[in-house]
Amino acid sequence: MGDNAQTTFLDEVAALPACDKINQCIQCGVCSGSCTTAMHWEYPPRKVIAMVRSGLKDELLKSNSIWFCVSCYLCTTRCPLDIKPASIVHGLESIALKEGYKPPTTTTTMYRTFSESIVNNGRIYEFGFMFKYYLQTNPLAALKMLPTALKLLVHRRLPLTPKRVKGKADLRIIIDKLSAGVGK
Amino acid sequence: MEPKIGVYICHCGSNIAGTVDVEKVAEYAKSLPSVVVARDYKFMCSDPGQDLIKKDIKELGVNRVVVASCSPQMHEPTFRRAVQDGGLNPYYFEMANIREHCSWVTESRKEATDKAKALVSAAVRRVFYHQPLENKEVPVHPDTLIVGGGIAGIQAALEIANSGHKVYLVEREPSIGGHMMQLDKTFPTLDCSACILTPKMSMVGAHPQIELLAYCEVDNVSGYVGNFRVKIRKKARYVDTTKCNGCGTCVTKCPVKVDSEFDEKLSKRKAIYTPFAQAVPNVTTIDRAHCTYFLKGKCRACEKFCERNAINFEQEDEIIDVEVGNIILTTGYKIFDPSVIKEYGYGRYDNVLTSLEFERMVNSAGPTTGHIQLKNGQEPQSIAIIHCVGSRDEKYHEYCSRVCCMYAMKFSHLLIEHVHGARVYEFYIDIRSFGKGYEEFYNRVQKEGTVFFRGRPGEVTDVAQTPEEKGKLIVQFEDTLVGKQRRQPVDMVVLCSGIEPQADAADVAHKFNISCGKENFFTEKHPKLDPVATMTDGIFIAGCCQGPRDIPDTVAQASAAAARVLALINKGKVEIEADTAFIDEAKCSGCRICNLMCPYNAISYIEKDKVSRINEALCKGCGTCVAACPSNAITHKHFTNDEINAEIEGILV
Repeated sequence: MGDNAQTTFLDEVAALPACDKINQCIQCGVCSGSCTTAMHWEYPPRKVIAMVRSGLKDELLKSNSIWFCVSCYLCTTRCPLDIKPASIVHGLESIALKEGYKPPTTTTTMYRTFSESIVNNGRIYEFGFMFKYYLQTNPLAALKMLPTALKLLVHRRLPLTPKRVKGKADLRIIIDKLSAGVGK
Repeated sequence: MEPKIGVYICHCGSNIAGTVDVEKVAEYAKSLPSVVVARDYKFMCSDPGQDLIKKDIKELGVNRVVVASCSPQMHEPTFRRAVQDGGLNPYYFEMANIREHCSWVTESRKEATDKAKALVSAAVRRVFYHQPLENKEVPVHPDTLIVGGGIAGIQAALEIANSGHKVYLVEREPSIGGHMMQLDKTFPTLDCSACILTPKMSMVGAHPQIELLAYCEVDNVSGYVGNFRVKIRKKARYVDTTKCNGCGTCVTKCPVKVDSEFDEKLSKRKAIYTPFAQAVPNVTTIDRAHCTYFLKGKCRACEKFCERNAINFEQEDEIIDVEVGNIILTTGYKIFDPSVIKEYGYGRYDNVLTSLEFERMVNSAGPTTGHIQLKNGQEPQSIAIIHCVGSRDEKYHEYCSRVCCMYAMKFSHLLIEHVHGARVYEFYIDIRSFGKGYEEFYNRVQKEGTVFFRGRPGEVTDVAQTPEEKGKLIVQFEDTLVGKQRRQPVDMVVLCSGIEPQADAADVAHKFNISCGKENFFTEKHPKLDPVATMTDGIFIAGCCQGPRDIPDTVAQASAAAARVLALINKGKVEIEADTAFIDEAKCSGCRICNLMCPYNAISYIEKDKVSRINEALCKGCGTCVAACPSNAITHKHFTNDEINAEIEGILV
């Protein structure tokens, strides 16, 4: 029947939400042609789909591709087969994290600190989240951001204390329900 | 006459016998009421198989025949003929499908045999009630109507007219010729389109057997195969075609300028005009919507200067009645409008053209006398040709438009020929060069220097990112064979717009009582085995109205449709199958429910008798009216209540 590892990865990805049409891709390249960040991807979106189909899981998830998707959705609007490359890419991100691949970018740390801030406060607390983010990635880079931070402060765009929502416990219940079944 | 039933169980090689115990079924059949003989045989449809039936009719006095074999769709006509050859009425035959409905849908020998027995029992009980029906014959009128005067209509008209039979060729534009007239050179031979088309157009104009009805439309169609009545509207040209000699003086004097449809709005025509120089018929037409006299009551310059007094502002549309035996629809296509694809910039940027616009530009009789030029009058040095615009795309049309790869290559060849030093880039997903000489043409075009990039462009933009890109249109795409997103600056972009059915295709289909598919192309009777016939007998289709196709295939289809029509004309009559419905007028209450239910418009209400009556020639035996009649007044021949009940009993026994 062919290499088992190949079909498994494709099946795995096709089973993700909104990714069921991955098999229909004709490799036309409109997704890569439209992608706003394509010049940074090691393998542009079209190639990512081709690699999933060929079962090249390791190579793909070790690369820096997929982590550059900014969800502009130009690929999804333009795909002639109604495939959603953005959803496939985000799906691949969760597979990568679940299986312990270390992404060669700080994007995941950004995602995590951002969502933790929201879960803890019910609202994004920019100062706190940015502080944590830089602490975990590159503290010196924070110094470069200082002039911008000061400007924001002066214009009252950088609150120093978090604004919390009232129903934080309710929010917690929702988040817990959603996270159940999804790997950390 | 006492029914004596002969039952024949077919093995169909191992198709049936491999699963069904055919000998057991034959034995069982012998025990059924009124069965005088039951046999099993390897291939009933073969000559020896059929001979078995004929022999039994002759020697054993069999007068009802049941064959248990494949689907009636396969061999009902075969066995009906065999029964008829044996001397019986062909409707004294019934078929039990023990293959598609039995041996082919289970692997269990027991279940298949049991079901086969039940089906045979049903057929035996049913055939007991069969009546000796007669197929009706209707005569076929020898004239033909062809709707649409493009290359398909022209070809079909000439084929039929050359056989000596009369053709009415109806075309709604002022001249015949269609889209082919707009093309420059045609692939792969690079024949000049007008040069190969105009001789045929002249032949049509001069042919004694063709009544050319240009600037006319079909208003109404009624009737059935062999006997259609058509109302044709001759639209008013406001020009007396018997007097006009096409001298063109009126055109030079007309003060009004209008966008020329023929030139895809790249040039202007006058309010009184001929669409192009080689128009057939060579007469002018006044475009009422733009003529100063019709709009404001002034001018009449054309009338003043016409030496033949051919202008007649009082002219009115004229309706004529025509009787024909067959109709061929060759209504053609229109091109996809790429304005909806915002990211390609058609309509926003100068110098983004559709394929038809480019054809007119490169044509030496076109708006620029064959000079390829940008909006500012300069020659483009670099041109991008984007394939699959509006095609192969779930957002617009899922299908492939078939001709675009080839005409794109043709454009490239012409560009390199017309513009010294031009660089042409083709952006494709796949290359479809399927026809005779097509792949060779692809190789030739590559040799001539066209560059092919595999990658459907994401967008066309004028926002320059580098100094080289300033003032250019930039095609952003992934060069998939290299694997990188790139930007290609060019001067001009040509979009390979796909082929679509005409805007009113659905209405035309309705008018002629044929179907349209999902995309509004006319539906053929069978996509492989019957591409030019429709489900409506006597109405045929050819060319792009059925689906996107190139000129060779269009001409082939037109000739095919003509051949079908000539076959019917030659036979002179058409057999209508006998399993139609009829109304017992004593029982009919005149409620007219059946009139509305009939999908074939076969039932009409007879005012003076206050009953409904079915036109047997139009009736297809669908049974809808039979079920709908509240008075139980309608009988379906060959599907009477007795016959159906007997069949059900046979299965349940």
